Amino acid sequence: MPTLAHLLHLSPETLWMVAKVLIVFGGPFTLASLLTWVERRGAAMIQDRIGPNRAALFGKWRLLGLPQIAADGIKAFLKEDLVPPHVNKLVFWVAPLLTFLPAVMGFAIIPFGQSFVSGGQTYHLSLLDPGNGMGMLYPLAIGSMAVYGVLTAAWSSNNKWSILGGMRASAQMVSYEIGMSLAVITVFMRAGAYDPHLIIQAQLGLWNVLPQFLGFLVFTTCMFAETNRLPFDFAEGEAEIVAGYLTEYGSMKFALMYLSEYVHMVTASALIVTLYFGGWRVPFVADPGVWLSVLAFVIKLLCFCWLFIWIRWTLPRFRYDQLMKFGWKVMLPLSMANFLIHAFLMFKGA
Amino acid sequence: MAILIKQVELSWLDRTYVWPILKGMAITLGHFFRQLFTPTAKRFTIQYPEMKKEMPEGYRGLHELKRFEDGSVKCVACFMCAEACPARCITIEAEEFSDLNLTQGFEEKRPKRFEIDLLRCIFCGMCEEACPKDAIWLRKDYELVGVDREGMRYGKWDLLNTYAGLDGKPVLTTDPKPSTPSRKEVACS
Ligand code: SF4
Ligand code: SF4
Repeated sequence: MPTLAHLLHLSPETLWMVAKVLIVFGGPFTLASLLTWVERRGAAMIQDRIGPNRAALFGKWRLLGLPQIAADGIKAFLKEDLVPPHVNKLVFWVAPLLTFLPAVMGFAIIPFGQSFVSGGQTYHLSLLDPGNGMGMLYPLAIGSMAVYGVLTAAWSSNNKWSILGGMRASAQMVSYEIGMSLAVITVFMRAGAYDPHLIIQAQLGLWNVLPQFLGFLVFTTCMFAETNRLPFDFAEGEAEIVAGYLTEYGSMKFALMYLSEYVHMVTASALIVTLYFGGWRVPFVADPGVWLSVLAFVIKLLCFCWLFIWIRWTLPRFRYDQLMKFGWKVMLPLSMANFLIHAFLMFKGA
Repeated sequence: MAILIKQVELSWLDRTYVWPILKGMAITLGHFFRQLFTPTAKRFTIQYPEMKKEMPEGYRGLHELKRFEDGSVKCVACFMCAEACPARCITIEAEEFSDLNLTQGFEEKRPKRFEIDLLRCIFCGMCEEACPKDAIWLRKDYELVGVDREGMRYGKWDLLNTYAGLDGKPVLTTDPKPSTPSRKEVACS
């Protein structure tokens, strides 16, 4: 690392920061576009279909349909960028960014590998180094911001379907956030810290998912709601409200909104992995080293991304009031119980 | 009258949400892997240009005007098909030919022009039903395309040759000379 930095006339810290920014913004982004492919092919397989397999690189290499991603991107860019006359133009333009940015930003705090020492300096594999005082509160705060994107998109579209979608998104957020926060608080309490590095530290030997299974269930369910994916995708429930907050969007703006759902999915998976599945930890290996730890993290991440897709093609959409009921009457008591049990156990000294 | 709705009693296991969801996930994953490891040839989807569906017997696809062995058209221009056609898309102009050809027995009428407007045809098969000479068949070709409306009006020679390639028969462009060849010579050649 220092040699490379010297060659580029940069200090190692700067180079490392640049590299991390590239990884942390490029990684989830790439993964998200790959996931659109996984989603489409996976959904097809689940439904005994075949899925997109025709797009070919230079008309020759089909590569299992992977070029479809590029084809879709090109299509989205070349489409007419229609802004309906009745929308609030400024907000309409800002909304896709407001949805997209929180989705990418949340990843900044996640440690995606074990820290390593090189040339007398410690390098942390997360964009924000530990001890920044924000810890896991940051991705939770940012993640909840995503609803502003949905809301502004809905509001600026000046369309009844859109506003219904936006309203649903905000009402939905209110009903799951509390349960989710309580689940996360239990993790903080057990680890005695809210810095992701320390949380992962605390999961040496036993991952949180076993002692806090209830919390894991609640948190994962809330993540489904937060990413606006089935079974909780009322905000764009196409059977009822056309496409919800996305109704008026087209071309690349739509693609950005759509992609942000996948980026969100990656970030949500990363959160679940960090909080409940030991982050980069490898089972039975106390000190896995950089490469193995990154590999373990990516594998866990992909498993959860697949879980998101898998669930989507298994469960039908809930009704809007069912989620509210579910959030308040099931999730909140469950995470409360989880919280109280662990508080009691800690009080007893277990 | 009151409508009785049958209440399904859910077991406590089913009411936990988690167990039924896991069962559903097992089903979808089963489908996923089954489909993943099914070779393309055995999947339900037919990968069209590479694979083609074998149409069942009695499928009513593109028409063929049948011919005798010597290449003369079986149709005797009786207009039965044109009468039967509910879409009124068959246009026939008859012509006489008086030279007696052995192959064709004693008929002396044949279509000079036999045209089906396939854009109007509904592939009902009535023409096939009506034909007294078994001269028009609807067969299995379903890949019927044209670049313009005119191209979809299939004339006599188009209809005679629609399945020539498939059956390995020569493509005809003219009626055989009535008096030559005789049936015998055709059989030997
Ligand atoms: S298939 Fe039916 S519609 Fe078509 S030409 Fe024959 S009788 Fe007419
Ligand atoms: S195709 Fe058959 S029904 Fe039609 S005119 Fe010829 S012989 Fe008559």
